[in-house]
Amino acid sequence: MEEDEFFGEKTFQRFCAEFIKHSRQIGDGWEWRTSKDCSEGYMCKTYFQIKPGTVVSHLGTSAHVQTCLPTEEALELPLDDFEVTETTTGSEVIKYEYHVLYSCSYQVPVLYFRASFLDGRPLALKDIWEGIHECYKTQMLQEPWDTITQQEHPILGQPFFVLHPCKTNEFMTPVLKNSQKINRSINYITSWLSVVGPVVGLNLPLSYARTASQDE
Amino acid sequence: MAEEPESALQLPPSTAADGEGPTEVSPETATPEPPSSAAVSPGTEEPAGDTKKKIDVLLKAVGDTPIMKTKKWAVERTRTIQGLIDFIKKFLKLVASEQLFIYVNQSFAPSPDQEVGTLYECFGSDGKLVLHYCKSQAWG
Repeated sequence: MEEDEFFGEKTFQRFCAEFIKHSRQIGDGWEWRTSKDCSEGYMCKTYFQIKPGTVVSHLGTSAHVQTCLPTEEALELPLDDFEVTETTTGSEVIKYEYHVLYSCSYQVPVLYFRASFLDGRPLALKDIWEGIHECYKTQMLQEPWDTITQQEHPILGQPFFVLHPCKTNEFMTPVLKNSQKINRSINYITSWLSVVGPVVGLNLPLSYARTASQDE
Repeated sequence: MAEEPESALQLPPSTAADGEGPTEVSPETATPEPPSSAAVSPGTEEPAGDTKKKIDVLLKAVGDTPIMKTKKWAVERTRTIQGLIDFIKKFLKLVASEQLFIYVNQSFAPSPDQEVGTLYECFGSDGKLVLHYCKSQAWG
Protein backbone atom coordinates (compact mmCIF):
# COMPACT_ATOMS: atom_id res chain seq x y z
CA MET A 1 0.00 0.00 0.00
CA GLU A 2 1.42 3.36 -0.98
CA GLU A 3 2.14 6.00 1.57
CA ASP A 4 -0.34 8.34 -0.09
CA GLU A 5 -3.30 6.23 0.85
CA PHE A 6 -2.27 5.70 4.42
CA PHE A 7 -5.23 6.62 6.48
CA GLY A 8 -4.94 5.95 10.18
CA GLU A 9 -7.55 6.08 12.90
CA LYS A 10 -6.48 9.55 14.01
CA THR A 11 -6.77 10.92 10.51
CA PHE A 12 -10.15 9.24 10.22
CA GLN A 13 -11.35 10.96 13.37
CA ARG A 14 -10.04 14.31 12.26
CA PHE A 15 -11.86 14.15 8.94
CA CYS A 16 -15.02 12.98 10.66
CA ALA A 17 -14.84 15.93 13.04
CA GLU A 18 -14.62 18.35 10.14
CA PHE A 19 -17.43 16.58 8.38
CA ILE A 20 -19.65 16.73 11.43
CA LYS A 21 -18.84 20.39 11.90
CA HIS A 22 -20.36 21.13 8.53
CA SER A 23 -23.22 18.75 9.19
CA ARG A 24 -24.13 20.77 12.26
CA GLN A 25 -24.02 23.99 10.26
CA ILE A 26 -26.59 22.70 7.83
CA GLY A 27 -28.56 20.48 10.19
CA ASP A 28 -27.72 17.29 8.36
CA GLY A 29 -27.89 15.17 11.51
CA TRP A 30 -24.51 13.43 11.72
CA GLU A 31 -23.12 12.72 15.16
CA TRP A 32 -20.02 11.24 16.65
CA ARG A 33 -20.33 8.32 19.00
CA THR A 34 -17.61 6.69 21.03
CA SER A 35 -17.52 3.21 22.37
CA LYS A 36 -17.63 3.00 26.15
CA ASP A 37 -14.34 1.32 26.78
CA CYS A 38 -11.87 2.72 24.31
CA SER A 39 -11.01 5.62 22.07
CA GLU A 40 -12.65 4.14 19.02
CA GLY A 41 -15.53 6.07 17.62
CA TYR A 42 -17.77 6.37 14.62
CA MET A 43 -20.04 8.77 12.82
CA CYS A 44 -23.71 8.06 12.60
CA LYS A 45 -26.88 9.44 11.18
CA THR A 46 -30.44 8.31 11.66
CA TYR A 47 -33.35 9.46 9.64
CA PHE A 48 -36.93 8.49 9.17
CA GLN A 49 -38.66 8.16 5.88
CA ILE A 50 -42.27 7.56 5.09
CA LYS A 51 -42.47 4.78 2.59
CA PRO A 52 -45.47 5.85 0.59
CA GLY A 53 -48.60 3.77 0.63
CA THR A 54 -50.58 2.96 -2.46
CA VAL A 55 -53.75 4.87 -3.13
CA VAL A 56 -56.17 2.86 -5.14
CA SER A 57 -59.34 4.47 -6.40
CA HIS A 58 -62.15 2.13 -7.20
CA LEU A 59 -64.01 3.21 -10.27
CA GLY A 60 -66.46 1.82 -12.68
CA THR A 61 -64.05 2.48 -15.47
CA SER A 62 -60.33 1.99 -15.69
CA ALA A 63 -58.63 2.11 -12.35
CA HIS A 64 -56.39 5.05 -11.69
CA VAL A 65 -53.61 3.77 -9.54
CA GLN A 66 -50.88 5.94 -8.24
CA THR A 67 -48.38 5.90 -5.47
CA CYS A 68 -48.24 9.02 -3.41
CA LEU A 69 -48.08 10.34 0.11
CA PRO A 70 -51.47 10.22 1.79
CA THR A 71 -51.93 13.99 1.95
CA GLU A 72 -54.66 16.10 0.51
CA GLU A 73 -52.49 17.96 -1.95
CA ALA A 74 -50.91 14.83 -3.35
CA LEU A 75 -54.13 13.07 -4.18
CA GLU A 76 -55.39 13.52 -7.66
CA LEU A 77 -59.01 12.55 -7.79
CA PRO A 78 -60.22 11.57 -11.21
CA LEU A 79 -63.10 13.75 -12.29
CA ASP A 80 -66.02 11.73 -13.40
CA ASP A 81 -69.50 10.77 -12.34
CA PHE A 82 -68.60 7.45 -10.89
CA GLU A 83 -68.55 6.95 -7.19
CA VAL A 84 -65.01 6.93 -6.00
CA THR A 85 -63.92 5.01 -2.97
CA GLU A 86 -60.30 5.05 -2.02
CA THR A 87 -58.24 2.99 0.30
CA THR A 88 -54.75 3.71 1.49
CA THR A 89 -52.67 0.70 2.32
CA GLY A 90 -49.26 -0.01 3.54
CA SER A 91 -47.74 3.37 4.31
CA GLU A 92 -44.98 2.85 6.82
CA VAL A 93 -42.27 4.74 8.55
CA ILE A 94 -38.82 3.36 8.04
CA LYS A 95 -35.84 4.20 10.17
CA TYR A 96 -32.52 4.34 8.36
CA GLU A 97 -29.25 4.29 10.17
CA TYR A 98 -25.88 4.97 8.60
CA HIS A 99 -22.65 4.47 10.48
CA VAL A 100 -19.16 5.35 9.30
CA LEU A 101 -16.47 3.29 10.99
CA TYR A 102 -12.78 2.90 10.50
CA SER A 103 -11.51 -0.43 9.28
CA CYS A 104 -8.12 -1.30 10.70
CA SER A 105 -7.61 -4.14 8.28
CA TYR A 106 -8.34 -2.13 5.16
CA GLN A 107 -7.25 1.19 6.63
CA VAL A 108 -10.18 2.97 5.09
CA PRO A 109 -13.60 4.11 6.28
CA VAL A 110 -16.47 1.67 5.94
CA LEU A 111 -20.18 2.36 5.62
CA TYR A 112 -22.47 0.29 7.80
CA PHE A 113 -26.20 0.69 7.45
CA ARG A 114 -29.50 -0.83 8.44
CA ALA A 115 -33.14 -0.06 8.11
CA SER A 116 -36.09 -1.08 10.22
CA PHE A 117 -39.75 -0.40 10.74
CA LEU A 118 -40.78 1.48 13.85
CA ASP A 119 -41.78 -1.71 15.60
CA GLY A 120 -38.22 -2.92 15.27
CA ARG A 121 -38.68 -5.31 12.39
CA PRO A 122 -35.57 -5.05 10.25
CA LEU A 123 -35.74 -4.57 6.53
CA ALA A 124 -34.32 -7.44 4.57
CA LEU A 125 -31.58 -6.88 2.06
CA LYS A 126 -34.04 -7.24 -0.76
CA ASP A 127 -36.12 -4.37 0.62
CA ILE A 128 -33.02 -2.23 0.94
CA TRP A 129 -32.11 -3.27 -2.56
CA GLU A 130 -35.24 -1.58 -3.86
CA GLY A 131 -33.91 1.69 -2.49
CA ILE A 132 -30.70 1.43 -4.41
CA HIS A 133 -30.42 3.70 -7.37
CA GLU A 134 -31.07 2.03 -10.71
CA CYS A 135 -27.69 2.99 -12.05
CA TYR A 136 -25.92 0.86 -9.45
CA LYS A 137 -28.20 -2.13 -9.60
CA THR A 138 -26.88 -3.69 -12.81
CA GLN A 139 -23.31 -3.58 -11.67
CA MET A 140 -23.95 -4.75 -8.17
CA LEU A 141 -26.33 -7.50 -9.19
CA GLN A 142 -23.51 -9.28 -10.89
CA GLU A 143 -21.80 -10.03 -7.65
CA PRO A 144 -23.85 -8.70 -4.77
CA TRP A 145 -22.03 -10.72 -2.17
CA ASP A 146 -18.86 -8.84 -2.93
CA THR A 147 -20.53 -5.54 -2.48
CA ILE A 148 -23.10 -5.60 0.30
CA THR A 149 -22.67 -8.09 3.09
CA GLN A 150 -24.20 -8.45 6.51
CA GLN A 151 -21.77 -8.19 9.36
CA GLU A 152 -21.65 -7.56 13.03
CA HIS A 153 -21.11 -3.92 13.89
CA PRO A 154 -17.64 -3.85 15.48
CA ILE A 155 -18.72 -1.60 18.33
CA LEU A 156 -22.43 -2.25 18.78
CA GLY A 157 -22.27 -5.96 18.07
CA GLN A 158 -25.51 -5.87 16.09
CA PRO A 159 -26.05 -7.00 12.51
CA PHE A 160 -25.65 -4.30 9.91
CA PHE A 161 -25.30 -4.29 6.18
CA VAL A 162 -21.88 -3.23 5.03
CA LEU A 163 -20.68 -1.77 1.77
CA HIS A 164 -17.52 -3.74 1.20
CA PRO A 165 -14.39 -1.59 1.43
CA CYS A 166 -12.02 -3.63 -0.70
CA LYS A 167 -12.17 -1.23 -3.63
CA THR A 168 -12.17 1.98 -1.63
CA ASN A 169 -8.50 2.61 -2.19
CA GLU A 170 -8.96 2.05 -5.88
CA PHE A 171 -11.43 4.84 -6.40
CA MET A 172 -10.03 7.19 -3.77
CA THR A 173 -6.42 7.06 -4.95
CA PRO A 174 -6.90 9.07 -8.17
CA VAL A 175 -8.84 11.72 -6.25
CA LEU A 176 -6.14 11.94 -3.58
CA LYS A 177 -3.33 12.05 -6.10
CA ASN A 178 -5.11 14.74 -8.04
CA SER A 179 -5.56 16.83 -4.92
CA GLN A 180 -1.86 16.58 -4.17
CA LYS A 181 -1.04 17.61 -7.69
CA ILE A 182 -3.07 20.78 -7.41
CA ASN A 183 -2.02 21.48 -3.82
CA ARG A 184 -5.43 21.19 -2.34
CA SER A 185 -6.20 19.12 0.70
CA ILE A 186 -9.40 17.16 0.64
CA ASN A 187 -11.61 15.77 3.34
CA TYR A 188 -11.30 12.07 2.67
CA ILE A 189 -14.53 11.28 4.47
CA THR A 190 -16.55 13.83 2.51
CA SER A 191 -15.19 12.66 -0.83
CA TRP A 192 -15.56 9.00 0.02
CA LEU A 193 -19.08 9.31 1.40
CA SER A 194 -20.20 11.35 -1.60
CA VAL A 195 -19.26 8.37 -3.76
CA VAL A 196 -20.53 5.44 -1.69
CA GLY A 197 -23.48 7.07 0.04
CA PRO A 198 -25.82 7.30 -2.98
CA VAL A 199 -25.40 3.59 -3.57
CA VAL A 200 -27.35 2.91 -0.40
CA GLY A 201 -29.70 5.84 -0.51
CA LEU A 202 -27.59 8.34 1.37
CA ASN A 203 -27.20 11.55 -0.59
CA LEU A 204 -25.01 14.33 0.72
CA PRO A 205 -26.26 17.89 0.25
CA LEU A 206 -24.18 19.85 -2.22
CA SER A 207 -22.90 22.27 0.40
CA TYR A 208 -20.49 19.57 1.56
CA ALA A 209 -18.74 19.96 -1.75
CA ARG A 210 -17.44 23.34 -0.78
CA THR A 211 -15.88 21.89 2.34
CA ALA A 212 -14.56 18.84 0.53
CA SER A 213 -11.40 20.56 -0.51
CA GLN A 214 -9.47 23.69 0.14
CA ASP A 215 -6.24 25.25 -0.99
CA GLU A 216 -3.25 24.39 1.10
CA MET B 1 -2.49 23.11 -21.08
CA ALA B 2 -4.10 24.97 -23.99
CA GLU B 3 -7.85 24.74 -24.40
CA GLU B 4 -9.21 23.45 -27.66
CA PRO B 5 -10.38 26.28 -29.90
CA GLU B 6 -13.53 24.49 -31.01
CA SER B 7 -16.89 25.78 -29.87
CA ALA B 8 -18.87 23.81 -27.30
CA LEU B 9 -20.48 20.75 -28.82
CA GLN B 10 -24.00 19.78 -28.02
CA LEU B 11 -24.47 16.74 -25.86
CA PRO B 12 -26.63 14.26 -27.76
CA PRO B 13 -29.88 13.08 -26.20
CA SER B 14 -29.70 10.09 -23.87
CA THR B 15 -31.20 7.82 -26.49
CA ALA B 16 -28.40 8.37 -28.99
CA ALA B 17 -27.34 5.10 -30.51
CA ASP B 18 -23.82 3.84 -30.27
CA GLY B 19 -21.83 4.61 -33.34
CA GLU B 20 -18.83 3.09 -34.98
CA GLY B 21 -15.35 3.88 -33.87
CA PRO B 22 -11.97 2.38 -33.05
CA THR B 23 -12.09 0.05 -30.10
CA GLU B 24 -8.68 0.70 -28.61
CA VAL B 25 -8.44 3.53 -26.16
CA SER B 26 -5.27 3.75 -24.14
CA PRO B 27 -4.93 6.11 -21.19
CA GLU B 28 -2.14 8.12 -22.70
CA THR B 29 -3.81 9.02 -25.94
CA ALA B 30 -6.82 11.15 -26.62
CA THR B 31 -10.00 9.41 -27.66
CA PRO B 32 -11.01 9.25 -31.31
CA GLU B 33 -13.71 11.42 -32.88
CA PRO B 34 -17.21 10.81 -31.57
CA PRO B 35 -19.36 8.46 -33.62
CA SER B 36 -21.09 10.21 -36.49
CA SER B 37 -24.52 8.98 -35.49
CA ALA B 38 -24.34 10.90 -32.21
CA ALA B 39 -25.48 14.13 -33.85
CA VAL B 40 -23.16 16.42 -32.00
CA SER B 41 -23.09 19.35 -34.35
CA PRO B 42 -24.24 22.58 -32.75
CA GLY B 43 -27.85 23.56 -33.13
CA THR B 44 -29.33 20.16 -33.86
CA GLU B 45 -30.28 19.57 -30.25
CA GLU B 46 -32.22 22.77 -29.71
CA PRO B 47 -35.96 22.16 -29.86
CA ALA B 48 -37.99 24.92 -31.51
CA GLY B 49 -38.89 27.77 -29.19
CA ASP B 50 -36.78 26.44 -26.35
CA THR B 51 -35.67 29.24 -24.10
CA LYS B 52 -33.81 26.94 -21.74
CA LYS B 53 -30.19 27.91 -21.88
CA LYS B 54 -27.74 25.07 -21.96
CA ILE B 55 -24.82 24.86 -19.62
CA ASP B 56 -21.27 24.85 -20.89
CA VAL B 57 -19.56 21.93 -19.24
CA LEU B 58 -15.84 21.31 -19.33
CA LEU B 59 -14.92 17.70 -18.71
CA LYS B 60 -11.50 16.89 -17.32
CA ALA B 61 -10.02 13.45 -16.77
CA VAL B 62 -8.53 12.37 -13.45
CA GLY B 63 -5.93 9.66 -12.99
CA ASP B 64 -5.54 7.08 -15.71
CA THR B 65 -8.91 7.79 -17.20
CA PRO B 66 -8.86 8.30 -20.96
CA ILE B 67 -9.01 11.90 -22.01
CA MET B 68 -11.97 12.90 -24.14
CA LYS B 69 -10.87 14.60 -27.30
CA THR B 70 -13.90 16.82 -27.04
CA LYS B 71 -13.93 18.37 -23.63
CA LYS B 72 -16.43 21.16 -23.95
CA TRP B 73 -20.10 20.26 -24.16
CA ALA B 74 -23.34 22.18 -24.07
CA VAL B 75 -25.61 20.29 -21.70
CA GLU B 76 -29.28 20.83 -20.86
CA ARG B 77 -29.89 22.14 -17.39
CA THR B 78 -32.02 19.16 -16.50
CA ARG B 79 -29.49 16.56 -17.56
CA THR B 80 -28.61 14.52 -14.49
CA ILE B 81 -25.18 13.47 -13.34
CA GLN B 82 -26.16 9.90 -14.11
CA GLY B 83 -27.10 10.89 -17.64
CA LEU B 84 -23.74 12.56 -18.05
CA ILE B 85 -21.95 9.50 -16.67
CA ASP B 86 -23.77 7.25 -19.13
CA PHE B 87 -22.81 9.55 -21.95
CA ILE B 88 -19.12 9.69 -21.05
CA LYS B 89 -19.02 5.92 -20.58
CA LYS B 90 -20.44 5.41 -24.05
CA PHE B 91 -18.12 8.01 -25.49
CA LEU B 92 -15.09 6.37 -23.91
CA LYS B 93 -16.44 2.92 -24.72
CA LEU B 94 -16.11 1.67 -21.19
CA VAL B 95 -17.39 -1.80 -20.41
CA ALA B 96 -20.33 -2.29 -18.09
CA SER B 97 -18.20 -3.44 -15.19
CA GLU B 98 -16.18 -0.25 -15.20
CA GLN B 99 -17.54 2.63 -13.23
CA LEU B 100 -17.20 6.28 -13.87
CA PHE B 101 -17.45 8.99 -11.26
CA ILE B 102 -17.95 12.68 -11.74
CA TYR B 103 -16.65 15.22 -9.25
CA VAL B 104 -17.19 18.90 -8.61
CA ASN B 105 -14.38 20.81 -6.95
CA GLN B 106 -12.23 17.81 -7.91
CA SER B 107 -13.29 16.17 -4.69
CA PHE B 108 -17.02 15.72 -4.32
CA ALA B 109 -19.27 13.34 -6.22
CA PRO B 110 -22.78 14.77 -6.65
CA SER B 111 -25.68 12.31 -6.35
CA PRO B 112 -26.76 10.62 -9.59
CA ASP B 113 -30.02 12.59 -9.74
CA GLN B 114 -28.38 15.96 -9.31
CA GLU B 115 -29.02 18.23 -12.26
CA VAL B 116 -26.31 19.99 -14.21
CA GLY B 117 -28.21 23.27 -13.94
CA THR B 118 -28.11 23.14 -10.13
CA LEU B 119 -24.43 22.26 -10.14
CA TYR B 120 -23.73 25.17 -12.43
CA GLU B 121 -25.52 27.54 -10.09
CA CYS B 122 -23.45 26.31 -7.15
CA PHE B 123 -20.08 25.68 -8.72
CA GLY B 124 -20.04 27.33 -12.11
CA SER B 125 -17.67 30.17 -12.90
CA ASP B 126 -16.63 32.07 -16.01
CA GLY B 127 -19.80 30.88 -17.66
CA LYS B 128 -19.01 27.20 -17.39
CA LEU B 129 -19.08 24.23 -15.07
CA VAL B 130 -15.89 22.23 -14.72
CA LEU B 131 -16.42 18.58 -13.91
CA HIS B 132 -13.75 16.01 -13.35
CA TYR B 133 -14.42 12.42 -14.27
CA CYS B 134 -12.61 9.33 -13.11
CA LYS B 135 -12.79 5.71 -14.17
CA SER B 136 -12.61 3.12 -11.47
CA GLN B 137 -13.97 -0.07 -10.12
CA ALA B 138 -15.55 0.76 -6.82
CA TRP B 139 -17.05 -2.58 -5.91
CA GLY B 140 -17.59 -6.08 -7.13
